[in-house]
Amino acid sequence: MPNSLNRVAIAGVGYSQTGRRLNLTNDEMVRQAVTAAMADAGMTPADIDGVATMGGEAMSIGHLLGLDPLSYFFTSNGGPAFVEPAMNAYTAVAAGMAHTVVAVRLIRQQPGQADRNSGAVTMPATVGGDAQFTSPFGADAGAVAMIAGLEMTAHMAKFGTTEEQFAINASTQRYHAGLNDDALLRDPLSVEDYLNSRFVSKPVRIFDCDYPVDSSSAVIFTTVERARDWQHKPVVVEAGALSSLRDMNFYQLDDYATTSPKHCADLLWSRTDLTPADVDCAQLYDGFSIITLQLLEALGFCGMGESGPFVEAGHTRLGGSLPTNTDGGACNVGRRHGANFCIESVRQIRGECGDRQVPGAEVAVWTNAVGPFAGAMLLTA
Amino acid sequence: MATDSDVLYPPRPEPDALTQFFWDGVNEHKLLIQRCSNGHYIHWPKIVCRFCLSTDLAPAEVSGRGQVATFTQPVQPFHPYFQQHPGYVLAVIELVEQPHLTLVSNVVDVAAEDVRVGMPVEVTFREVAPGFTLPLFRPAATGS
Ligand SMILES: [Zn+2]
Repeated sequence: MPNSLNRVAIAGVGYSQTGRRLNLTNDEMVRQAVTAAMADAGMTPADIDGVATMGGEAMSIGHLLGLDPLSYFFTSNGGPAFVEPAMNAYTAVAAGMAHTVVAVRLIRQQPGQADRNSGAVTMPATVGGDAQFTSPFGADAGAVAMIAGLEMTAHMAKFGTTEEQFAINASTQRYHAGLNDDALLRDPLSVEDYLNSRFVSKPVRIFDCDYPVDSSSAVIFTTVERARDWQHKPVVVEAGALSSLRDMNFYQLDDYATTSPKHCADLLWSRTDLTPADVDCAQLYDGFSIITLQLLEALGFCGMGESGPFVEAGHTRLGGSLPTNTDGGACNVGRRHGANFCIESVRQIRGECGDRQVPGAEVAVWTNAVGPFAGAMLLTA
Repeated sequence: MATDSDVLYPPRPEPDALTQFFWDGVNEHKLLIQRCSNGHYIHWPKIVCRFCLSTDLAPAEVSGRGQVATFTQPVQPFHPYFQQHPGYVLAVIELVEQPHLTLVSNVVDVAAEDVRVGMPVEVTFREVAPGFTLPLFRPAATGS
């Protein structure tokens, strides 16, 4: 591990109850997730001295759960989802700022069309700031499927990716979800089911979108030395990388077909002697399915522009050369905003995945990315 | 609950000190983009040129010609106005003046299924409601 004082490992992972409109408070969801991760590791609050979160506020979480005094705390102001607090937790432990940091993501289901139709959510009649250059043209604030539409159109135009290939991707992930008791959508999804499904923002269909839920997730990072004391074999952080090509502006990317994952992936591979050929499974963010395809290319699992044929050939399916999104992905386990990809990587390396276990998995890569920013982490046994 | 103005108009821009020139230009049927003293174009307007850090910035009229960088057809927009205009084309337009100099707009005067990435387009100023003009883009006239 270049550039770090301590080698870092993951010692515990956990989720809150996850589903639609659970009517749980934010504090209750975070409590469930962090206590589940502590129980997974065998820790008590006294064993944790740092909090990094997206959703909620780090010091408040520390105090709520008796983790204080804290030696490290980070609260995200917006970024590439769970990988941002995760990277803060990892680097804080690596640098010796804290010995054990819990990374948290809390996310609530966004308002749906029913809320708008009922008048519970209204759209503004005037818009200032950056939105004055987007909303008057029908680019609604928060309508991220439109941005995915821009990316998907660009990828299809530049590389010839087909809607059948996106259908196979969705069907493959649903197959994996069928092997995961924790997935929310588990019924088989055929290529025809996908092609017959409704559009959200053409060419994006409903099955290209992650499934909005209330969820909280927690992952505990500590030193490799300390991790050996806990219940599970440590899962070691081999390398990590963050990338930002732009601010939070999704509407002015230089290249909608590839966006930021390439920069992030190049940084990741520069920090390890491992190569894409060493990876046993990949857990690649699928807020929209186009992002998973972009990440397959960026990480070098296939050539640039070749992710469609790569998926079509079955490489990403369990039993293929690179089982990908083996928990079913956020399209099927719900929008845990990247945390599920970290947690699934840990469980695969521990060998806990039952029917969906990748035999002998020792190296996994997980990512978050959307348009202008990305993050990636490489984990090993 | 949707109001009459929600139904009839897209969201109206609220210009600020940095962006007033852009909307004033639109109202005069001119496409004005911020340009620094070293010739770099910046959009959306900022206090500094991110290419050379010049703070000497002024509006400059551009040709209005460009190409469709990418596009999508939102099928379930949130805003009531756009719910009344299903199948509109939301596009990123790259202007000819500078690589990656882009605006968000709509492509009009062409069937959505005929819009293509790379299609040459030109600006057209449309009054979408009384006194409310937007810079939209249509297929470029042949030879323009
Ligand atoms: Zn400049």
